[in-house]
Amino acid sequence: MNAVGFAIIAFMLAAYVLLDGYDLGVATISPLVARSDAERATSMRIIGPFWNGNEVWLIAAGAVLFALFPRAYASSFSGFYLPLIVVLWLFMFRGIALELRGHFPSEIWHQFWDFCFSASSALLILVFGVAIGNLLRGVPLDANGYFQGTFAFLLNPYALLVGLFAIVTLAQHGAAFLWMRADGPPADRAKTLMKPLWIAAVLLYLLVTGVTFGMHGMGPDFGIVVVMAPISLASLMLMHMQTSRQSASGTFYSSCVFVVSLMVAAAGTLYPYLLPAFPASYGGISIYDSPPTALLTRILVIVAGLTLVIAYGTFAVRRMSGKVPAGSKIPVYRLEEEPVRPSVHEEESYVPLPADPPTKYLS
Amino acid sequence: MDVVIADRLQFAFTIMFHYLFPITTMGLAPFVAAYTVKAARTGDPDTAAAASFWTKIFAINFAIGVVTGIPMEFQFGTNWAAFSDRSGSVIGQPLAMEGIYAFFLESVFLGVLLFGKRFFTPMVHAAAAILVFIGTWLSGFFIVVTDAWMQHPVGYVIAPNGRIEMRSLWAVLTNPFAIWQYTHVISAAILTGGFLVAGIGAYYLLSRRDEAFGRRFVRSGAIVAFIFSLLVVYPTGDRNAANVTEYQPIKLVAMEGLFESTHGAPLAIIGMPDVKNRALIDPILVPDVLSFLAYGNFNANVKGLNAYATELWPPVDLVYFGYHVMVGLGTILQGVALIAVALLWRKWLFETRWRWVLWLLMLAIPFPYIANEAGWVTAEVGRQPWIIYGLMKTAEGTSPTVVTSETIFTLLGFAGMYFLLGVLFLYLVLREIAAGPGEVAPEGDAYAGAAS
Repeated sequence: MNAVGFAIIAFMLAAYVLLDGYDLGVATISPLVARSDAERATSMRIIGPFWNGNEVWLIAAGAVLFALFPRAYASSFSGFYLPLIVVLWLFMFRGIALELRGHFPSEIWHQFWDFCFSASSALLILVFGVAIGNLLRGVPLDANGYFQGTFAFLLNPYALLVGLFAIVTLAQHGAAFLWMRADGPPADRAKTLMKPLWIAAVLLYLLVTGVTFGMHGMGPDFGIVVVMAPISLASLMLMHMQTSRQSASGTFYSSCVFVVSLMVAAAGTLYPYLLPAFPASYGGISIYDSPPTALLTRILVIVAGLTLVIAYGTFAVRRMSGKVPAGSKIPVYRLEEEPVRPSVHEEESYVPLPADPPTKYLS
Repeated sequence: MDVVIADRLQFAFTIMFHYLFPITTMGLAPFVAAYTVKAARTGDPDTAAAASFWTKIFAINFAIGVVTGIPMEFQFGTNWAAFSDRSGSVIGQPLAMEGIYAFFLESVFLGVLLFGKRFFTPMVHAAAAILVFIGTWLSGFFIVVTDAWMQHPVGYVIAPNGRIEMRSLWAVLTNPFAIWQYTHVISAAILTGGFLVAGIGAYYLLSRRDEAFGRRFVRSGAIVAFIFSLLVVYPTGDRNAANVTEYQPIKLVAMEGLFESTHGAPLAIIGMPDVKNRALIDPILVPDVLSFLAYGNFNANVKGLNAYATELWPPVDLVYFGYHVMVGLGTILQGVALIAVALLWRKWLFETRWRWVLWLLMLAIPFPYIANEAGWVTAEVGRQPWIIYGLMKTAEGTSPTVVTSETIFTLLGFAGMYFLLGVLFLYLVLREIAAGPGEVAPEGDAYAGAAS
């Protein structure tokens, strides 16, 4: 049962990285591929309906960790105190940026929020990568299972390397998503970006895997990690083929496989620990530190709920997918007395939206 | 500053700011769902415009609610690690269920509600409004269950190593304390939603614009506010107080500022507790009523604060004022809603000579919020010195590795961040209100407002 609990949390975190990963990735590459004001508005519109639901995977995963493995939750959240609060603030900035950009017809206003959107997203990826790096490396737990994650300790070369790898991987993921969903020049630019990102991802993958392997050696539960390595490599090759074949969705789905294989490999490396100690003399907080009472009922309740979420989430997302026409933006009502002054860029790339089909509801 | 005080201040500040938004979403969700469903069924453009207007207000509140809600869940781990470690097996579960059963539902279907009009049929779109409504109320339920367990722990066992472990999930979810606390909180939220709808309607009528919408909002808002201003007192408030009497007698007497144990204890209408001299200064008392309300007998003996050790007292003044502000405002709001409903019934409300009632409705908007917050102060400050009533002291719950200065730094950060959020929120909502329900979307894209 404890192992099932571990698998649920790993699954939820993988879902988070897979889903919010493309939101963060789109935001990170947005300054490179969306050059005009209108293009940047459209890149926000592409993730508009989804980012909030995607973010819930992280929040829910945190709560499940709290419920099933309270010791690991308490120790890691208090140990990473300042970095976590910074993550919260970054999340807020991303949310506000998405929320507010469209509300005021001024280029200065737009540029400011575009910057916040991209910078906070890129920093979030970096922080998450550094966090995963430190989990894989271990943290300096004391005898009571607590630690103080000083910046000097957390920002070690290995963790920073994982952070860099995370940025490249998710930038690639986001670029594939943008290519799939956007229209016109941003999609083309995202496509051109695929190749350099791919090369960087391959090199960093080999480097990170090598260093991690050197650090951990062949542990008892290394089987799954060994299985994941060829899957990661195969998905990378597949991605390259799909990009050459000009298939945006093929590229995105291969990137999905790559991201998930990395998360599974990371989880497999950690197992059975949730928070390994560094130096590894004393093991750390493992899944067996959790109280086993009523675990079956609690896990069943969680699994049933997640099944429901996946069912209706898939329904909603499938129906709302498809290309987002260029010139779309997150819809905002404007006041009469605030005429929009279209900028030079906007006039260039503005394509009017197709009118909605008249429905009974509107008539 | 003591680390416990710093942690409590940060939690109190972030939760009180956060709670303003869930009150609104829980209170507006039924209105949004009702308007959206009616619009889908009748195809009436005015109803659709009303639905769209309230969806926008709802969405802005929802977005700020999400943004300020995430720190709440994080803070259990960051600032209250010892508490989380010891009791996470119990209180983590309803929080996880909130994420999985409620938060996903709200987020996914709010996306459908805001962006999905062109992808879904009107009926599916209306169903999304109902699911968002269910999601907001479920979310509130799981949060109240978590809090109710801290007020009155049930369904747990204490392991040999001192940890508190879940024995029965069902017992936790059906905690008798939770049932009445939840219905009380929900009634208060709908009351707030009713006053918001009526108040904004009154604003349109007073400014002589969008008057058809204004009348409609005042009518539905005032009726809902009146019904729930009754329900918030009886049975929900009354039963909730009965639970406090039974399980937290010290909190009850702190709420009433009763120091001396008395037969036929009086109810204090006003007065100021002087904790140092253990007396209520300048009070107006109604004799025997407290005994009756607490025990159903005008002559029952109510044990005063003096009967308990001082270490077990909550901060009496905060609890006393929290409770009295809540009840006082509740009573005044009940009066305002009663006047509005009586005038509606006689069909006089929209006549010129009764315009001052519209002023009352408009100016009443902030007060349900204050009453809600005051109610939570009563409940949570009244729980002190316990973090889990009778099981664990608040002072034992903090994180062993987080020091005061760190918490003060992050508290200042939150203060700055929330100030910015508050200003932006007001700007956005006031702008939607100024634009009004009559405004049509300039683009064909679904509802407007928020991206969440």
